[in-house]
Amino acid sequence: MKPLTAARTLSVLFVLFAVAVAAAAIGLVAGPSGLGWGEIVSVLAGEADPGPASDIVLRVRLPRVILGALVGASLAVAGVLFQALLRNPLADPYVLGVSGGAALGAIAVLSLGSAIGLGYAAVPPAAFAGALATTGLLYAISGVQGRVSATGLLLTGVVFNAFASAAIVFLASVAGLTEGTSIFLWLIGSLSAGRLEVAGWVAGFLALGLAVAMPLARGLNLSALGEEAAQQLGVDIDRQRRIVLGAASLMVGAAVSVAGLIGFVGLIIPHLLRLLVGPDHRLLIPAAALGGAAFLVVCDAVARTLLDGRELPVGAITALAGGPLFLWLLRRHHHRAFGS
Amino acid sequence: MTRFRWLSSDDWVPMTTHRWPHQSTKLVWLALLLLVLAAAVAQRPAAAALRVVSMNPSLTRMLIALDAQKTLVGVDEFSAQTEPAIAHLPRVGGLFNPSLEAVVALQPDVVVVVPSVAQRDFRDRLRQFGIDVLELPNITLDQVLDSIRELGARIDRVGVAKTRVAEIRRAFRDMGRHAGEGKRPSAILVLQRDPLYVAGAGSFLDEMLRAAGVENAAGRFSDPYPRVGIEWLIAAAPDIIIDSAKDPVPAALHWSRWPSIPAVADSRVYAVPAGNVTLPGPYLDRSLRILFDAIYPSAQTPAVDPSALP
Repeated sequence: MKPLTAARTLSVLFVLFAVAVAAAAIGLVAGPSGLGWGEIVSVLAGEADPGPASDIVLRVRLPRVILGALVGASLAVAGVLFQALLRNPLADPYVLGVSGGAALGAIAVLSLGSAIGLGYAAVPPAAFAGALATTGLLYAISGVQGRVSATGLLLTGVVFNAFASAAIVFLASVAGLTEGTSIFLWLIGSLSAGRLEVAGWVAGFLALGLAVAMPLARGLNLSALGEEAAQQLGVDIDRQRRIVLGAASLMVGAAVSVAGLIGFVGLIIPHLLRLLVGPDHRLLIPAAALGGAAFLVVCDAVARTLLDGRELPVGAITALAGGPLFLWLLRRHHHRAFGS
Repeated sequence: MTRFRWLSSDDWVPMTTHRWPHQSTKLVWLALLLLVLAAAVAQRPAAAALRVVSMNPSLTRMLIALDAQKTLVGVDEFSAQTEPAIAHLPRVGGLFNPSLEAVVALQPDVVVVVPSVAQRDFRDRLRQFGIDVLELPNITLDQVLDSIRELGARIDRVGVAKTRVAEIRRAFRDMGRHAGEGKRPSAILVLQRDPLYVAGAGSFLDEMLRAAGVENAAGRFSDPYPRVGIEWLIAAAPDIIIDSAKDPVPAALHWSRWPSIPAVADSRVYAVPAGNVTLPGPYLDRSLRILFDAIYPSAQTPAVDPSALP
């Protein structure tokens, strides 16, 4: 891989930005109602009268494109950060149990909420509360003796995820039939509740996460050499770990609270971009944000259009599309690196 | 060893030691005994011998409607939640977690179920225990009516079942006449808002909508209960939205977010109680009337108070 220069960074990010814009255009054009380009453009230009076309473009598709981009970006960046933090290629945004906590909060409301007068609107705040509580737990348990150890974090996360799954199974078995369907679909993940109000919420945490993570990019690069080597080179590993854990957890919590557990984006997009643009976090973090955004927006467009009016959970599409795409890229990379 | 004391020969009294004092007294006693026995047999309700476990709220409601509540010895969780009359009965789990042990322990003669993949193994296991499993589908109107008849036949309530089915059939015919001629408005029956589920073609709800004089805008989906996107619903532009979702937010308020839908613009969003309208049970005639009255608030049809339904 070529060394990172300002010109290369800018050109890679420009290409990825163009891909993200193209994805957004696909997201705005694709849909079961078959609106034409002309109608869409006139709605976007503000020339159309209020009516079904403007409702569909401005209040259904646009919020979903924006929300999909923000959730995709948050999950992909969090994936990069967790893989660097734990120095484990299998890490994804859900590995540390933040998702389990969010799911527990959401599913508690979905299964028991109607009994106490809570509707679907209470799900995102409950999910975010669950994510925050889990992050607190991660700090409290793995941070004993003033150090946050990678193994401690991973173990805490795995055990907490197992606990959360068990609690979810319990809640799902006492829930009614319709609640059961909602729980199942929430666990796969969907952007169908997409509204601009919640998009602002996810955008805030994504911006915060990027603002915190970008200055640490060089430190994360050095950590790849090993903890001791990085420390000898002047990286405060412990401080870096605390900051990255907090930033990534907040991003995941916000994304999961509005979209459920959309899988594969946070695992595959970081690896995919590492293959394409190299492992340098100064480029990889913003590249993952753009790549994750583009990927999820396109997957959501497919989920909305594939069955003509009926809707698929986007999590099913990300898994179906992401897996083969990643394996193909990995194979191509191996061919290039080692010949065939 | 006290447990087995009854096996010891000391407890046996040889029959030959009994002697009736007089032959006539013996006959009187025998006659009395026969009389008591005959009275006991005559008083025993005919269906008491049958023990039924219901695994589905629609079947539970059918059993109650067929005056066979006494035959029920156990119900599923959802039945217990929706039918207060039988809430005291032993519960045997839900659709996804039926308890084989709980059902077997109740020693039922027949277990009534709605066929579903989720309970396939459960049904097979019950049959291995020699328990009769009656599978009664409830997707289409004909299936629901056949289920009422078949259930009636199995629990010895043929007459009641026949009457109920006839009344439902008549309501569907009559309502068709009330609905009148001319262009039918299009309607969508919402079952759940988020995720959005509606009644598609092939479900008894589709047939109810048609009988109530409206065109089901989701009739193009062959699924009985498809999950649709809000974009499709906006583009379908229904004249009427009938919302049976269980949600604390009132239907009119929820749908007011989409003023471009004709139903919202014309204030033709109607909330109907889910349990009484969307349950494929024995009172589809009344459900149909509730639906009809919701769609045509000014029409003169025999009024039904939803709260009066069982």
